[in-house]
Amino acid sequence: MVAEEVNWPAVLRGPDNAAALAGLRAVLLNGLRVALRERGDVNDAHLEDFAQEALLKVLARLDQFSGRSKFTTWAHAIAINVAFAELRRKRWRDVSLEALLADGRELTEPATLGRDAAGDDEERARIIGALRTAITERLSPKQRAVVAGLLEGMPFDQVVDLLGTNRNAAYKLVHDARRVLKEQLVAQGISSATIRAAFAP
Amino acid sequence: MKPLTKEQLAGLAQLVGATQEHELNCHDCLALAAEFAERQLAGLPLNEALTRVEEHLAVCPECREELLALKKILQANG
Repeated sequence: MVAEEVNWPAVLRGPDNAAALAGLRAVLLNGLRVALRERGDVNDAHLEDFAQEALLKVLARLDQFSGRSKFTTWAHAIAINVAFAELRRKRWRDVSLEALLADGRELTEPATLGRDAAGDDEERARIIGALRTAITERLSPKQRAVVAGLLEGMPFDQVVDLLGTNRNAAYKLVHDARRVLKEQLVAQGISSATIRAAFAP
Repeated sequence: MKPLTKEQLAGLAQLVGATQEHELNCHDCLALAAEFAERQLAGLPLNEALTRVEEHLAVCPECREELLALKKILQANG
């Protein structure tokens, strides 16, 4: 086992890195065990697979380690990302692009994005009404589809796959959609503070 | 698509309200997550880049979920 104080990037890059690789893999596996302990859908074989995939990603990204955190914390963050992305994907594997686009179209329907669900609160109903108008009038079909998918709980990686794009491009699509919606609300006198106050838990 | 629930509508409104002109994406957030988690658990102040992680977490439930899991590991490791 390699000690925590070791210079991980250096030993992992070294010619005799077998012990370092095994050590880091064990560290990642232990971390995943802790992080996913309460999930019923994860067994030992999954954990081993996640740890192996994470190890490969860590090695591929060694140059990106900035040294502003412990190396193992940085590696754990990558392992968590690998594991959660795969677990989210599994749940939504059978959803199609057509279904996603259909959900996006339906997002403009009063039955889907209804003022009724805002309850008796007048301010909430006003905000929901303004949101629906903005979604209908200002978002592209693709933006509506992505917003609908995310509201349904679809993982972001799945949306990225369905759209056949990359994660950064998909994030930009969603960010642009949120910005447009916000601009529309602000134009109607609905500020971020108003929204926060109306929808505070 | 089923009618959205009150919680989903509130979530959408809050996402729109929390939207910033310039935001980190998930990739940038992951690159800073380790430093962010360590400093947060140690009660240390966040610099400007890490403040933007906080803003990203407000609009990204997936990165939020992953950061919680990372902090769980760090806490378990003492």
